[in-house]
Amino acid sequence: MIRLLGLQPTYNPGDPIDFEYRVVHVDHAAIVAVEASVVWVTEGKGSEDLGVHFFQRLTGNSLAAIDWSIAQKVQCPLPMSPLSYEGKLLKISWCVRVRFYFSDGTELMAQQPFYLGSLTREV
Amino acid sequence: MTKLCAMKTTKWWTRFRLYGKKRGGRMSGWWFIGSLGEALFFAGFFLLGVFLSTTLIAWQLMSPSTQLIRIGYGFWLFLGVCLSFVVIGTVGFWYRVLKVVTSDEHREVLTHRGIVPEPMIRKTKSILPPTVPELGLYTDSPGARLAFRLPSQIPENGALLAMGVFAMAWNAMIAVFLVIAVENMLRSRIPYYLLLALIPGVYVAVRSAQLFFRSFVRTLGIGSTTVEIEDLPLVPGSDYGVEVVQYGRLVIKKITVRLVCEEESTYHFGTDVRTERETVFSQVIATHGRDRIDWGYPLRLECRCTVPRDAMHSFQSMHNAIHWKIIVDGEANRWPSYSRSFPVVVYPQSRTSRSTVAS
Repeated sequence: MIRLLGLQPTYNPGDPIDFEYRVVHVDHAAIVAVEASVVWVTEGKGSEDLGVHFFQRLTGNSLAAIDWSIAQKVQCPLPMSPLSYEGKLLKISWCVRVRFYFSDGTELMAQQPFYLGSLTREV
Repeated sequence: MTKLCAMKTTKWWTRFRLYGKKRGGRMSGWWFIGSLGEALFFAGFFLLGVFLSTTLIAWQLMSPSTQLIRIGYGFWLFLGVCLSFVVIGTVGFWYRVLKVVTSDEHREVLTHRGIVPEPMIRKTKSILPPTVPELGLYTDSPGARLAFRLPSQIPENGALLAMGVFAMAWNAMIAVFLVIAVENMLRSRIPYYLLLALIPGVYVAVRSAQLFFRSFVRTLGIGSTTVEIEDLPLVPGSDYGVEVVQYGRLVIKKITVRLVCEEESTYHFGTDVRTERETVFSQVIATHGRDRIDWGYPLRLECRCTVPRDAMHSFQSMHNAIHWKIIVDGEANRWPSYSRSFPVVVYPQSRTSRSTVAS
C-alpha cells in the first residue's frame, strides 16, 4: 500500500513529495528487493515513454534492517517539468511506484498517481 | 487509490507457442520466449566472434608457416569483422538480459546514470527544466530589431534539396552513358541496348530538372520570411512582441500569423514507424490584407502574442512531443499558397513568474 502524505494528490513543480509504503500479508523474510520510484509516463497514441525522477532500490543489509511493521517514508523534491497533461494524442501522468521482489521469483507492484502542476487538459 | 498488480510465474509449457504475432510494440506470444530467443541469438553471435577471432590470432601465432590468411588488408578486415561480432553480441546480449531481470524504472536509471549509488534524484535546480527542448538552437541568431531571429522549418526546402540532389545525380549518370554511347557511335559501333535504355533515362533526367527549376523559381519568387521575437523562452501568461518580415516580389492577397501548439506522437504500426500530429491550440496573432511587396520593400508586420496562462510547456521525449511554433500562412497572386513554421520554446511557469502574474 502506498499513501501520499499531502492533503491533495496535486503538487506544484519544485515542491517536495512525501509518501509512505508498507506491505502486509506476505512473508517479510521472502522479500529480496524493494524498488521505490517517482516516475512520469506518457500514454496515448505514441509509444510509451518513461522518465524516472527518483529511484531507490533496497537489497541485502539495507533491506534486512527494515522493520515492516511500520510504514517506510520517502521524501523527494519534484522537478519543474514535465507537468501532468491530458492532450488529444498524449497524456503525461506522474506516479509513485513500489515494486517488491520475492525469493520465489514473484513480483508485487503498486502505484499511486498524482498530479504535478495544475494542467490536466490541453490548453 | 493505490493500484496493485501481482506478477506470478506460471508453468512455462502453458505459455509456450512456436509462433507469435508481432503487433507494433506488443506481441501476442509469451514475451519470455522472445527475450530468451534474442538473448541466445546475441550470445551465439558473441561466441562466433570469439571463436573466429581466437582461431585467427592463434593460428597466426602458433603456426606462422601455414598461415590461414597472410597479414595484410584481408587479415585486418577479417579480424575487424570478428571483433564487431563480439561487440554486437556483448551489447545485444546484456541489453536483452537487463530487459528481463530489471524493472522499467531500474533500466531507465541504469541508462542515464550507469550503476550509481542509491537513491537517485534527478537534479531539479538545473537551469533547463527536464524534458524541455534546449534553447541554444533558438537563441543563437540575434534579430535586427528584436532580440532573437527564429530559425525556420520550411518543409518545401527539404523537398527542394532532395529534388536537386536527385536531378543532379541522375543527369550526371545519364551524361556519362551518353558519352559512352556517342563514343561507340563514333567508332561505327551502334550500342542498341544502351540507346534503348537511354530513352526513358533522358526523359526522367529532363523531367527531374524541370521539376527542380519550377520549385526553385517558386521558392525564389515568393521570397523568404523572417520572424523575430522579443524574448525567449516564452512563459505562460506573458506576452511578447513579434515582427514578421516577408521578402520577395509579389502581390500578397492575405497573410496570417498564428501561434500554434501541436502534439506529436511516434508509434510502431506493424514494421512501420509512423508520426501523427494534432494541433491543440491555434491563435491568430496578426493578419494583413492585399498588399504589394517589391525587392527592397518587404512587408513588415508588428504584433504581440500571448501564451495562455494555463498552457502546457514544450515537451520532448523519445516518442512524444509538444511543440509550440509561430506559423506564417500566405496567399499570393500567381503563386501557390505557402505556410512557414518558426518553432519557439515555452518553459513551464516557475513559482516566481506565477506570483508576478498573480500580483
